[in-house]
Amino acid sequence: MSLNRGPQRALNGALWALLALSLVLAVTLGPADIAATEVWQTIAHHLGLPGEVPVTRLRDAIIWDLRLPRVLVAAGIGAGLALCGAIMQALTRNPLADPYLLGLSSGAALGAVVFLLIGAALLMPLGAFAGAGAAMALTLLITRLLGGATPSRAILSGIAISALMSAATSFLIFWSATGDSYREILSWLMGSLSGSGWADAGVVLAAVLVLGVPMLFAGRALDAFAFGDAAAATLGVDVVRLRWLLLGATALLTGSLVAVGGAIGFVGLIVPHVVRLATGSRHRVMLPVAMLVGASFMVWTDTAARSLFAPRELPVGIITALLGAPIFLLVLLRYRRVT
Amino acid sequence: MRASRALFALALVALTSTAALAETSYPLTVDNCGVSVSFAAAPKRVVTIKSSTTEMLLALGLADRIVGVGFQDDPAPEPWTATAAGLPVLADKVPSQEVVLEAEPDLVYGGWESNFAADGAGERQSLMDLGVASYVAPAACRSIKPAKLTFDGVFAEIAEIGTIFDASAAADTLIAEQRTALGGVTADTRGLTAVWYSSGTKAPYVGAGSNAPAMIMEALGLTNIFADVDDGWFASSWEAIVDANPDVIVLVDAAWNSAAQKKKLLAENPVTSKLDAVVNQRYLVVPFPASEAGVRNVPATVDMAAQLAALTFTP
Repeated sequence: MSLNRGPQRALNGALWALLALSLVLAVTLGPADIAATEVWQTIAHHLGLPGEVPVTRLRDAIIWDLRLPRVLVAAGIGAGLALCGAIMQALTRNPLADPYLLGLSSGAALGAVVFLLIGAALLMPLGAFAGAGAAMALTLLITRLLGGATPSRAILSGIAISALMSAATSFLIFWSATGDSYREILSWLMGSLSGSGWADAGVVLAAVLVLGVPMLFAGRALDAFAFGDAAAATLGVDVVRLRWLLLGATALLTGSLVAVGGAIGFVGLIVPHVVRLATGSRHRVMLPVAMLVGASFMVWTDTAARSLFAPRELPVGIITALLGAPIFLLVLLRYRRVT
Repeated sequence: MRASRALFALALVALTSTAALAETSYPLTVDNCGVSVSFAAAPKRVVTIKSSTTEMLLALGLADRIVGVGFQDDPAPEPWTATAAGLPVLADKVPSQEVVLEAEPDLVYGGWESNFAADGAGERQSLMDLGVASYVAPAACRSIKPAKLTFDGVFAEIAEIGTIFDASAAADTLIAEQRTALGGVTADTRGLTAVWYSSGTKAPYVGAGSNAPAMIMEALGLTNIFADVDDGWFASSWEAIVDANPDVIVLVDAAWNSAAQKKKLLAENPVTSKLDAVVNQRYLVVPFPASEAGVRNVPATVDMAAQLAALTFTP
């Protein structure tokens, strides 16, 4: 089951429209009660379009400095996580692979917390990358030591690494947190986009554009991977080099996303699976669709996180886990023969 | 000071008929946060957790009963600084059960109910099984939702601690002093709104509608922008605060998150820097230990009223 070029274009077009609509609507929602037309006029003004700013200085700040960067961060993180999940599922030939389950997110969180605690908050993405890379290397190494890559071995190694990294993170927080600083770190560890600003949006969008978009061109090679390394090699794919390149890029991208949004679970796992139902499993078609769906999905879950219980904020990771864990179970059941 | 306080106590004894009942008769049983706590005699060896509980005993002249303190938020203020500095510190954070038991207490007095966890000072029941009484500051009770905190509620804790320690005279004196001091506070009438900024950077942790922050802001005549949230404190969002644009920001000054750090953060964040209170530097500062229910609420309210009166607003 796979889409031909015509329907594929139509689907991509529809998803771009959905994402645009999601962004346009999501910026109008939030704890502050601001009319939608005022929100759009304000953004239009900042974008250099003619017209007056219809709102006060503070509402302008709410719209331009709080809401807009935050929905862009959400879209970027959703797209990036969905892509990372899809790529990892292909590379490890494991339908249950995802940055969260294979320990990358916990590793990235550990790296980020280390940099946060030594006072180098600006370098958090680097720490997160190092942590994600280390966690991925360990998970893959243990999987190999267990006798080769099967989905269940990879998940079990991932769980072990994830537990180790989480314990190290908890220890660091226990040992160093003063006063109630643990409260915010814990909320971020659960996955939270609270207080995301333009700097965060810059990190996330740059990472998705620089690291994520080039990965889309690996779609054809990933399709070859599906038939096994030997088959991929006969199809002209430099298997070893490509695998390392993609694994490195995935760790780097995951690190950047976790440094901003914390360990948001299940997006990378469920979005590719849902998307495959519509597109089939050819990566050239599936990857861009997964990114677009992931982006819209995160925009809406984060809007729910900041609006449902206003003026309280809910860590968005709680919502993605509430939605994701049941879908994870369905995926497990569907693949019960392989696992 | 002590002499005058004693004289005042004597005067009270002479003036009030209830003071004749001031002597506590044991065994005494009090209902504390859903737990029935019995005392065969006035506690003699007390472990206090959090500054608010230590300061309660210091204010009642019971320093000699304290055998250990844990999780002190800040050094105690005058006139207790020297006494407090001499108290044995069991742990910088919540002491573990073994450390608490090693001090052989007959009472553990906790400022937060969560201090009494298995991985903290020990669960209340397990302490009780070992013959150690426990008491949670009533305003910090979570297992039974406490009533909205009022100064009468604060005085009730002072009175109850006085009863438990057979120190009702000292408690009555302190309550009378605090009532007088509080009576001297006139609520601001300028119709000002305020937010109580406790901690946090991305998701500001703020005072809600039912605990010490709400009580103090009400006494000051400030309208709490989060008065409708039925909780003590909660993690809010900058959007909600910026939307309300409070006239005044109350900054909680803790060693680990000082008022100066908060001012810097508010001034540097592109959104909060536009708040009227930040532009005009309209801040009230309250020491962290005074921001939780206890003997420092009244002095803090008096101090903040003076800070508030000094703020000018040009229409």
